Amino acid sequence: MKFSVYRYNPETDSEPYMQTFEIEHRQGMMLRDALLAIQEQDESFTFRHSCGEGVCGSDGVNVNGSNKLACITSLTELKDPVEVRPFPGRPVIRDLVVDMSQFYAQYEQVDPWLQRKEPLPEQEILQTPEERDQLDGLYECIMCGCCSTACPSFWWNPDKFLGPQALLSACRFLADSRDQAGEERLDKLEGPYKLFRCHTIMNCVEACPRGLNPTKAIGHIKAIMLKEAI
Amino acid sequence: MSRRASGLRAWFLQRATAIYLMLFILYLLQHLIFNPPDGFAAWQGWVAQPLVGLGLLLFFASLMLHAWVGFRDVLIDYVHPTAIRVSILTLFGFALIGCALWVMQTIFLATVA
Repeated sequence: MKFSVYRYNPETDSEPYMQTFEIEHRQGMMLRDALLAIQEQDESFTFRHSCGEGVCGSDGVNVNGSNKLACITSLTELKDPVEVRPFPGRPVIRDLVVDMSQFYAQYEQVDPWLQRKEPLPEQEILQTPEERDQLDGLYECIMCGCCSTACPSFWWNPDKFLGPQALLSACRFLADSRDQAGEERLDKLEGPYKLFRCHTIMNCVEACPRGLNPTKAIGHIKAIMLKEAI
Repeated sequence: MSRRASGLRAWFLQRATAIYLMLFILYLLQHLIFNPPDGFAAWQGWVAQPLVGLGLLLFFASLMLHAWVGFRDVLIDYVHPTAIRVSILTLFGFALIGCALWVMQTIFLATVA
């Protein structure tokens, strides 16, 4: 199987280039295995990976034009030749490794922790099963960044639009019955940029390796906002 | 333009006007298909009906609000230098107000004729 891989080492290369590798396609091979095989051929080839089973969210890459987690992408589902690039719209540190600091800064902006105004009880704060169900489809995010870096609104205004991942997290805390900072959370999302740059393009839904739906979460935030406004 | 109001309000306005635009276009289409005005005088008579005139005015008001929000969105996404963005937005605003006044004049002239 043929692989065309993005290479860039800012210390030695004046500009990025694509390098071709030939990998023997063995049964059950994932894209991560192919990248490791490439690394065996060329030790200087760099990419992030860790758990190898779609839980840590480290090995997000752009494969044949779409963002995927390399460890859970089977080679059988990819068209030969495979083109592997770093996430679009992110500064490249080296080869497939990109700088995600802006992505984390956006996550931080939605205050991704439970906020209580009442004093905390001695034991845990109880939830009914129905209240717990509200968090399904929101809490499973592994922050791989596949969604945000696939979002055109994020490419256009990465410094002002929070992106699908951060907004999904915002929705996760707005939907939590134990959280008491809903008003403040909504206030922080007002204005034309942070939330409302989303034009329901839905690239995020297509990219999410966990099958989550940030677009739906964003719609949910808008609906809560509207309800609180009138 | 208040910073606070321009997110949710613009978004809601765009959706609300879209619904009216869709309904009125359906009405317009069925009118033009099943009951097409026979010449200028018939058209004038149709527009002169108070409900039709009002409906048309609302239609164009909605169209312009809708266009304003949509155009502003496109500029925010694609045009980043502030000076260029403000200039285009101002020009577009004037053009929209011009169109609105022209529509009002047309409908007014049809009703007094």
